[in-house]
Amino acid sequence: MTSTPIPPPGQVVAHGEGQHVSHNLTGFIIFLCSESVIFLAFFSGYAILRLSALDWLPAGVDGLEWRMPLINTVVLVSSSLTMVVAEHFKGKEKVWLFRAFWLLTMAMGAYFLYGQAVEWSGLKFGFTSGTFGGTFYLLTGFHGLHVATGVLLMGLMLFKSFIPGNYSGGEEGVKATSLFWHFVDVIWVILFVLLYVWRA
Amino acid sequence: MTSTLPLARPEEGQSWTRYFGFNTDAKVIGIQYIVVAFFFFLIGGFLAMIIRGELITPASDLVDRTVYNGLYTMHGTIMLFLFIFPVLNGLNNLLIPTMIGAPDMAFPRLNAVAFWLVPIFGSLLIASFFVPGGPAYSGWWSYPPVSIQNPLGNLINGQGLWLVAVALSGVSSIMGAVNFVTTILRMRAPGMGFFRMPVFCWTALAAQTLQLIGLPALTGGAIMLLLDLTAGTSFYRPEGGGDPVLYQHFFWFYSHPAVYVIILPVFGIFSELFPVYSRKPLFGYVYVSVASFIIVGLGLIVWVHHFFPSGVPEWMRNLFMFTTMLIAVPTGVKVFAWLGTIWRGKLQLTTPMLFCLGGLVNFVFAGITGIMLATVPIDIHVNNTYFVVGHFHYVIYGAAVMGIFAAIYHWFPKFTGRMPYEGLGKLHFLLTFVGANLNFLPMHPLGLMGMPRRVSSYDPEFAFWNVLASLGAFLLGVSIIPFLLNIISSWARGPRASHNPWNAIGLEWLLPSPPPEDNFGEHVPTVISRPYGYGSDEPLVEHQAEIEKALILQEATR
Amino acid sequence: MTSSSPRRPGPIALAALALWIGLLVLISVWMAGQSYHWLPVQASNAAPLVDGLFSFETGLGTFVFLGVMSVIAWVVLMHRAEKYDISDAEPIEGNTRLEVIWTLIPLAIVMGIAIYAMRINHELGILGPMEHIHPHNAVEAQGGYPGDRLPTESIEVVARQWSWEFRYPDAHVSSTELHLPIDQPVTFRLTSDDVIHGFYIPAFRLKQDVIPGKAIDFTLTPTREGRYRLRDSQFSGTWFATNQADVVVQTADAYQAWLKQAASEPLQSGLSDAVGEYVERQNQSHPGWATVRPAPPPQVNVPGSNTLPHDA
Repeated sequence: MTSTPIPPPGQVVAHGEGQHVSHNLTGFIIFLCSESVIFLAFFSGYAILRLSALDWLPAGVDGLEWRMPLINTVVLVSSSLTMVVAEHFKGKEKVWLFRAFWLLTMAMGAYFLYGQAVEWSGLKFGFTSGTFGGTFYLLTGFHGLHVATGVLLMGLMLFKSFIPGNYSGGEEGVKATSLFWHFVDVIWVILFVLLYVWRA
Repeated sequence: MTSTLPLARPEEGQSWTRYFGFNTDAKVIGIQYIVVAFFFFLIGGFLAMIIRGELITPASDLVDRTVYNGLYTMHGTIMLFLFIFPVLNGLNNLLIPTMIGAPDMAFPRLNAVAFWLVPIFGSLLIASFFVPGGPAYSGWWSYPPVSIQNPLGNLINGQGLWLVAVALSGVSSIMGAVNFVTTILRMRAPGMGFFRMPVFCWTALAAQTLQLIGLPALTGGAIMLLLDLTAGTSFYRPEGGGDPVLYQHFFWFYSHPAVYVIILPVFGIFSELFPVYSRKPLFGYVYVSVASFIIVGLGLIVWVHHFFPSGVPEWMRNLFMFTTMLIAVPTGVKVFAWLGTIWRGKLQLTTPMLFCLGGLVNFVFAGITGIMLATVPIDIHVNNTYFVVGHFHYVIYGAAVMGIFAAIYHWFPKFTGRMPYEGLGKLHFLLTFVGANLNFLPMHPLGLMGMPRRVSSYDPEFAFWNVLASLGAFLLGVSIIPFLLNIISSWARGPRASHNPWNAIGLEWLLPSPPPEDNFGEHVPTVISRPYGYGSDEPLVEHQAEIEKALILQEATR
Repeated sequence: MTSSSPRRPGPIALAALALWIGLLVLISVWMAGQSYHWLPVQASNAAPLVDGLFSFETGLGTFVFLGVMSVIAWVVLMHRAEKYDISDAEPIEGNTRLEVIWTLIPLAIVMGIAIYAMRINHELGILGPMEHIHPHNAVEAQGGYPGDRLPTESIEVVARQWSWEFRYPDAHVSSTELHLPIDQPVTFRLTSDDVIHGFYIPAFRLKQDVIPGKAIDFTLTPTREGRYRLRDSQFSGTWFATNQADVVVQTADAYQAWLKQAASEPLQSGLSDAVGEYVERQNQSHPGWATVRPAPPPQVNVPGSNTLPHDA
């Protein structure tokens, strides 16, 4: 259909090297960007409901206790740092130090979940207490689900670190988990500001 | 030298039963998507026939009003979530890897999971016909508070199943979108920079980006709706301080872009096919490609135009009217580019070309009514009337489905290895074009006269146009018969297709028909020029002549 | 047409083109005039504004549509490949100047429409503020809204599944048929007891959703005597289609007389087609799928009618 210039003889072109690289990390980043929109939707829904409400707080509730959540926040934010340290040690091939800090990060995540559960159990309002209760439990619950997922992912990565040679060729799983954890962290900071810092 | 050529691999040995299992080959998944989509298309079309049967007379006399409401809700839901999106994902699966020279999608297993979710949530949705109380009946928008009224009070109810099905559809679409975007970004053939990429890939990338940004908003909104329906929260419940209009924002923040998710790939199809059948390069390739992303940007900031009468302040009305008007510009650029492409071409009026031209005619009409709808004072009058129903059926059926048919006829030989029949194809086109216009044009005068959409009965003054519309709908129902006959018989025993029966330019046409499982495998050709080099005598890839020679040789010996 | 060298069109071709464009303009102008007949009668002061805008867009749209169709028709008729001709056409890849021009032309057109529409929007706003939204219960406390500057008749509209109730607080009258005095601004206070409804009178070209939990003020001025339809325009459930009421626009005298007459009537059940059909449905063995029970018909002074012939 179209004329072709004659290629130089004997030229063998090896193509397709790029084909077998794993694209997991790219895909995961794209997914995280998309996931952040759900939170954005919840945040904007919360803000709109709160700004248009006549009586935001249900009867008998005069605001949220913020000290315990603040401790929780500090723990979660620091866990991002311990995770960076863990990754640093992995880069230097100090596997045991990596595991130690990784485990520490997991523990801090688990503590956050525990703190969240304690806070929930002490509250005087429920899921169905108007839009205040609904948005509070929705936001913290949906975020808590992400924290739990993050802890489970970390557990998986920790387990994988014991498979000999597993991390020698590249460690997209660890990178993805750490990205996810930082994401969950950032979301929590916004959430904390929206729920606890924002006063009427 | 032969080492650069795809090896001759016989298509035999691949059992047809692979279409019924968990297969990770994008070409198998693509066909699975399309076949499943058309199965649901028949169901959705059957519901449309009942709807138009009810509306052929003013009184509510064919089915009970509750049944009518359930049927129109399911018609919209099935056509969007179980026909249009899956059929487009099918085309994406077939075309993206072959067009960019990738062996498969970036995540083949995720791809298969995304597909298998479709029959699962499809069955769930169909199952809702059989739960006590019947299926969801609040329209495919499911606006609260109607959608959270739950008359029987059961935990398992049609609306709840509807929400779960739509959420699963969202999960499937997000999986698909992550996959398509990663594939396009990371797996293009050597030499294929972004501005050597076929326009279909550009539009697919744009459309899937919209999915990634918009869909989570709907998912968030739907989660809150489901909680309101089943857990007693009051996000949208006015009695509990909730705001029903908030849902409309979530819904349309996704569902307006969803229209672009549908129409952008169809723009891609038009941009692929007009050059082939006009024997001319695409006019203004760079312009057309970039326009897709301008549409993405603008498409995300127009959603409020769907509910101007909901009590939106005047500044917001004006703002969203402006953005909606602006979106006509990149769209207009595309239309002019297609006209520039066919202008002074050498037109071949094959079935796919006819569908493209017919789709373009309908699309231009839909664009003009779209501008009218964007104009706030007119929209206040015709919003929620049949004018809107007519407008979006022109977009979805008149343009998008016509484009999809064009794509199916065009790429059918490539992926089945068989040629479709031209006579049946042209008959299909004629019935579709006449049927669609007869069905959807009368809806415009009805809307202007003030007939609300979603009514199960209407005042007698609307009868005349409704009879016409119903006749058009029945004609559309008939139009699917030649299509099915054509596809089934030509797939089974149509003439063998060569690797490039339409004499088209593109990587997919440098593969055997049907392509081997890993497409080019290790021998991905290097792209050396822009797509659509019709008449320029420039080869698309290195060693093109040898590749084609080998393909012809392979065809001669089979 | 198949010559490969670009050539200037001759004077005859240009004249034919000009003639064709002239013809398209004529057809567009004719369509713009026709478009008034596609709409219901104009019964409010908003209607002429809306119809004028619609006519303008119809004319413009007709011209664009026919222009594009002319190109397609010309190409299909004149630029077809000969049978068995599989050669390529001239490889024209684009023309930057042309592309810029046809970006600017649509931009100018749509911006022109948008500015025209904004002006109409503004005028509609002056004719009667489109709406004020305020939380349901904080209304009376603040004593009205600055938008109600004109001495307007005030009518409360209550939308329900599936009936419309109209209350005239000054005259202590309620009805399921809406009566309005001609050429006087009327302010409605729209509320809903259950779901979102749409307050839509096609002859007035106005529509406003009625949102539960909010009271929405909405002003309009009827300008033509007659009987019109009010339709629910936001899907509200099973008997959505029957949720219609009649709107009677009459002279100020007739209106006052009607109010006076109505005030003396005892309360009785108003119109609700849904209630009647619901009772019928109860007696069927297979009535269909689940439905919300219709609200009982409102108790009003005048039920009125929704079966008389209407003008639009």
